[in-house]
Amino acid sequence: MSNIILKAENISKYYKLGVIGTRSFKEDIQSVWKKAFKINNNLSADEQANEAHKNELWALKDVSFEIFKGDVVGFVGKNGAGKSTLLKILSRITLPTSGSIKGIGRIASLLEVGTGFHAELTGRENIFLNGQILGMHKKEIMNKFDEIVAFSGIERFLDTPVKRYSSGMYVRLAFAIAAHLDPEILIVDEVLAVGDAEFQKKCLGKMKEVSAEQGKTVLFVSHNAQALKNLCNKAIHLEKGRLLGIGRTQEIITNYLKNEQIHELQKKYNDPDQAPGNDNIRIKKLELIPQYLDQNKIIDIRTPLVVEFEFWYLPSEIIDLGVSLTLNTVLGDCIFDVDSVAKPYKKGVVKGRCKIPGNLLNNGSYTISLFFVKNTSAAIFEFEECLSFDIEDFRENTAWYGDWPGAIRPQFKVQLEQEEE
Amino acid sequence: MNNENIKNDTINWQWEISPAKSWFKLGLKELFNYRGLILRFVRRDLIANYQQTVIGPIWIFLQPLLTTLIYLVVFGNFANVSTDRVPKILFYLSGTIIWTFFFDNISGTMYTFITNAHIFNKVYFPRLVVPVSNIITQSVRLAIQMVLFIIIFLFYFFAYDMFQLSFKMLLIPFLVILTAGFALGSGLLIAVFTARYRDIDTFFQYILRLGMFITPVVFPSSIVPQKFQLLFWLNPLTPIIETFRSIFFNQNAIRYDFLLIAVAETIILLIAGLILFKRREVEVMDII
Repeated sequence: MSNIILKAENISKYYKLGVIGTRSFKEDIQSVWKKAFKINNNLSADEQANEAHKNELWALKDVSFEIFKGDVVGFVGKNGAGKSTLLKILSRITLPTSGSIKGIGRIASLLEVGTGFHAELTGRENIFLNGQILGMHKKEIMNKFDEIVAFSGIERFLDTPVKRYSSGMYVRLAFAIAAHLDPEILIVDEVLAVGDAEFQKKCLGKMKEVSAEQGKTVLFVSHNAQALKNLCNKAIHLEKGRLLGIGRTQEIITNYLKNEQIHELQKKYNDPDQAPGNDNIRIKKLELIPQYLDQNKIIDIRTPLVVEFEFWYLPSEIIDLGVSLTLNTVLGDCIFDVDSVAKPYKKGVVKGRCKIPGNLLNNGSYTISLFFVKNTSAAIFEFEECLSFDIEDFRENTAWYGDWPGAIRPQFKVQLEQEEE
Repeated sequence: MNNENIKNDTINWQWEISPAKSWFKLGLKELFNYRGLILRFVRRDLIANYQQTVIGPIWIFLQPLLTTLIYLVVFGNFANVSTDRVPKILFYLSGTIIWTFFFDNISGTMYTFITNAHIFNKVYFPRLVVPVSNIITQSVRLAIQMVLFIIIFLFYFFAYDMFQLSFKMLLIPFLVILTAGFALGSGLLIAVFTARYRDIDTFFQYILRLGMFITPVVFPSSIVPQKFQLLFWLNPLTPIIETFRSIFFNQNAIRYDFLLIAVAETIILLIAGLILFKRREVEVMDII
């Protein structure tokens, strides 16, 4: 029983790069002048076309899709894939360069919470102000006023100017208003990024309620693959302004993550003279081999990872050689540092291997560094951040999609037992 | 996906977003649907303006009074500029409240895109809501200032037995609408241009400041040299302020001919402004 509620046909959006809108009156006059008198003739037509192409960007190119009533559609894509542009067009903030979108029913967009809040006004005044900016009628707000206040949990501060609110209270009030919008189509952008864990849970719960119980259509953009997987029944994958895929969330998200995870998993050098290293050590090969658990080929928190490396060992004296492997987050925090037993090796190729078990690391982006150590004390070569990779989250049976806290994510459980009386 | 064979022609689409926009769609009906938001903005501006001030809304009275006082000293006493035999305080007060009304309307309108970019970038509503609500806010302030003017007028009326009351006072709402229309029309045009060319904004600010001296705010139009009279009267604010003074003080006959020209000028500006603004309101957001 799906009824089409929104249809986008061949939407394209074109931006001029660099100097958008910063041209002064003088420059505009000059360009009109040049056009009129064909002053640019010393450039060939091709060169002119090239010049023009350098400064243009198709933020969206021929994107078409249909959305049915009751769908919860997730938009995924890297930064700059065109998600925000698409949302802006859907919310009528900017116009497409070509193509059209047709729809049925009221559409409300939540590209930000608290749009138009006035710092000097009280919470009460701002509920009406923000609600009306978002397209609610005064009567509607009055009917839902108590609900909004209860949802936000700021009863005591209702008559305090919002400039005295803590940022948490501010966001809670703003979201409470947005959550009671009640349009046929709701557009939500990254709202999950704000607020504390408990509040995120409340927001996602509300979104689920809106779609599942009230049969509303939700269009949702988030980087949080977990949230998308659990909330959306459909997903749209954008890349570089083009539609890469549309379909069931599971498949689309899997594809998207696979696309995302093409990082530096391997390094190979054939010529010792060109390889990184020094007189003692030359790197030959370096590889991260994930032991995928299913066909999806995504590294998630369950996936065991094997690091394999080979190096040309060219010692000038006999030493005890040890190698230590450090795993850091992209922010530079060290998660662990493991080493080998230090002992003497002969000149030639030496192989190394280290297995990082699954169910150990939390999701996030990591780098691996290798340190070659002489006599367990002095580093003779440091190969820093030589591999980088992402670990995706994986959860089953949870209603909570926020970031899981902690540097590591070991899988031992808390045991509960019913005490017999 | 689903095999219901939906034919697009059979669907009753309620709205459509597409790049092409008709030149002659002013969206006034849509604007009317947003009257709730317009009034909300008026309320916001009136309340927020006087939050955390000592004397609050009394400023609405005090601003024109203080300005009048300065004009009284500088132009009335030092420079001794004629006021066409009208009591100085009433002469300057009438000029200054109409000029301020015009000035606040036009400067509120011309910065529509720049001051509201953060909202316009996140939510859609007809952009005209903002300048229209500004005009209503300013009209409320004008109404309050008119009360002050009328109190002082009545003082002269009773204490000195000056002036007569006449049916021509019914023209006042018309003068207010004309001023607002002139400010809105030219403000909308400037708004579209300033969003694109920031340097034009400085230019218009300058023109606006000078505008007070090609408008009979601190002097009567009678002292303008004969050869500039026609040019001077083509400024719509000249017949507006002169008519306003004639209604109350009867110092000169009302120039209906120039009032009519002012109406024509305002209508042309207003239509041009509305069309251009409506046409560009969304595109402007890409370049601001």
